[in-house]
Amino acid sequence: DDKWLEAHYDPVSSLYTFTQCITMSDINADGDHKLIIADLGTGSYDMKLKVYKGTSLMTENAIIDLPTGVVTFYMDTNEPHTPAIAVASGPFIYVYKNLRPYFKFTLPTLSVNPVEQDLWDQVKEDRIDVMSLREMLDGLRCEGATLTVRSMRFLQLQSHDLEPFASLHKHAPLKRQTVITCLATMKKSMAEEDAISCLILGTESSHIYVLDPEAFTVLATMDLPSVPVFMSVSGLFDVEFRIVVACRNGGIYNFKRGVKEGKTVFELNSQPVGLERLGKNIIVGCMDRTLQCYTSKGKKLWSVAVPADITTIQMMDHQQKGFKAILVALANSEVHIYRDKYLCNVMKTPDVITGMKFGRFGREEASLIMTTKGGGLVIRILKRTAKFEEKDISAGPPSSQNQKLNVPKKTKLFVDQTMRERENAVSMHRQFQHDLYRLRLETARNYVKALDRSMNPISTNPQEPLKLAAQVQGLGPIFKLTVNLQNTSMTVPSLDLIITFQYDNTLYKFNKSIIQTPMLVPGLNYSFEALVECLSDKGISDTVKVFVLKKNRSVPIIAAIINMPISEAMVVV
Amino acid sequence: MGFLSAFASWLGMKKKDVNVVVLGLDNSGKTTIITKLKPAEARTQDIVPTVGFNVEKFQTKALAFTAFDMSGQGRYRNLWEHYYRECHGVIFVIDSSDKLRMMVAKDELTLMLENADIKMKRIPILFFANKMDVRDSLSSVKCSNMLELEKIRDKPWHICNSNALTGEGLEEGINWLTDQVKDILTQKKK
Repeated sequence: DDKWLEAHYDPVSSLYTFTQCITMSDINADGDHKLIIADLGTGSYDMKLKVYKGTSLMTENAIIDLPTGVVTFYMDTNEPHTPAIAVASGPFIYVYKNLRPYFKFTLPTLSVNPVEQDLWDQVKEDRIDVMSLREMLDGLRCEGATLTVRSMRFLQLQSHDLEPFASLHKHAPLKRQTVITCLATMKKSMAEEDAISCLILGTESSHIYVLDPEAFTVLATMDLPSVPVFMSVSGLFDVEFRIVVACRNGGIYNFKRGVKEGKTVFELNSQPVGLERLGKNIIVGCMDRTLQCYTSKGKKLWSVAVPADITTIQMMDHQQKGFKAILVALANSEVHIYRDKYLCNVMKTPDVITGMKFGRFGREEASLIMTTKGGGLVIRILKRTAKFEEKDISAGPPSSQNQKLNVPKKTKLFVDQTMRERENAVSMHRQFQHDLYRLRLETARNYVKALDRSMNPISTNPQEPLKLAAQVQGLGPIFKLTVNLQNTSMTVPSLDLIITFQYDNTLYKFNKSIIQTPMLVPGLNYSFEALVECLSDKGISDTVKVFVLKKNRSVPIIAAIINMPISEAMVVV
Repeated sequence: MGFLSAFASWLGMKKKDVNVVVLGLDNSGKTTIITKLKPAEARTQDIVPTVGFNVEKFQTKALAFTAFDMSGQGRYRNLWEHYYRECHGVIFVIDSSDKLRMMVAKDELTLMLENADIKMKRIPILFFANKMDVRDSLSSVKCSNMLELEKIRDKPWHICNSNALTGEGLEEGINWLTDQVKDILTQKKK
């Protein structure tokens, strides 16, 4: 690879994570950016917050539930100015400062369905048995009510587990909580790199919350028609901001400051797998193997098809070079780099990439962190001398195809002909069919004639399967006629065959007019020769017929007609 | 050495001036090393990231060195090549505690060795595997393996561990460089 340096590759770093759970930040304020990864563990337990310094693991903190996002943000202006880490997990945000747990934020609880509340109240007072509770809850669910986690779990249980579950939980107050689906940050009132930021959370209940970084109170709540999955945030909370949200229903929504309900920007044909914003454009990777670009107004600018399923997309913003591009990880273990709609680099990776982040890591500005499906960690660094071509490197129609050809104007003749063809289409077709049938008839007639006269070079008589080929060699006046005869049967030899010739005896003279053949063994090619002398010097020629005859039969088995070439005049020296 | 001392006296006991260019990634300790090589009274206290380059002078037993202490930051690395033409030796400083960027150092080293001004010249290259005091730092052997120094066949090179904060290992390296530069100058004189 002439653009990337392979700085580190650990195929067995046992990381199970995604793009949203990877971030890089200078958490110790020492100029050395650390890699922060929320590891999903096995997917059900062993979740960890891992911090890497360079290539070595610095610290590990256990997380209780599956993480859905990790960000770092400055929550105060205290010295040393170190950012805090926020991990979204279940309905909670865990905030770490100096790598130690600092605060736990819990999402506001949602209202419980009154019928459900009433049912659990009855359980508390032992006025209802578990079987009818299950029936009632199931009925509620079928009516489309959203139940609490407790009721959902209750409905999943086997009947003998219902009683202990109910008695264990019935005294705890019933709460309906949602979970965080995506996490982002937004600068609060200053645009500096290290200014205080708010946390932006998207939840399963189709809300977006903006959290105050110091008091952890909800500053703003916004509603969506579907569950948010990817967010792109820009601007300042106190001044003006934009939040672009990709939802699970394939819709892309836009929020401005002061707006409660998201405005639909556009709807995708397919589910989004990643959302990035490049300047004013929104770039979305979709499940139908396309990368699409829209303006912030929702006008589609372009769409490119990629060769495999997209696993994740990530923005590559190289400030030093002023280079912005989109990294697209594909299921065929490649990472494609698109600058606008042009593919400018293809990177092969040892495994399918599931998470990636481009940015400053350690002291290197242009580092690309990638985690693989198999749990590996790949770190690549962009070479200082790397240059990306402006042009598209992907194969496609050559540029000359877009050039306009100098097509001459339609002539009157062409127009008349077209008109005639249009008017007489039926009769033209009929005429064509008529001629075609005549051609076929003529062919069949000639074929039958040839069979009758045995004028074909392959015998049709099943008793004597033979193949004949004859050729003439020489310039004249004496030619050599070679007759090749082959018995095409599998087992039966041919006996008592005679080769003879029919010719104009005023024009030609044969040195032998009859050739007796030996027994023809099946499969072998026999060749017989005769010398022909042309008697005329007038430059005329005729045909010679070759017959293969069976003894005591007058009809030839096969025959061939040879067109004799015109003889050269005898040169007397 | 008999010839060399004669040569020195022929010059009127004046130490020969030589130029060396000091290269290496940012934060590898170039400026710290050069500061440590200067006499104690000429040292500056604070070491800050170099912008562009600094010119420093220091002396050893036989030679007076002028060191071009280049900035290692990515955006200034393209300045390095402008100082190759005039140099008699190269000091390449490696941060042996930064495993991640060993490949970057190797890339920069390769670029330097392929430069037209360096490629054809037989100049000595001294490598300092700096920050040997940091825990988990790589040994000089490991560094030379990762940088594939054994592939440099047409130039004399030497690698030594160093700790620029205490000055440990610097003398060994500079003595080697002095000997090499002297040898080459003598050969040219002949």
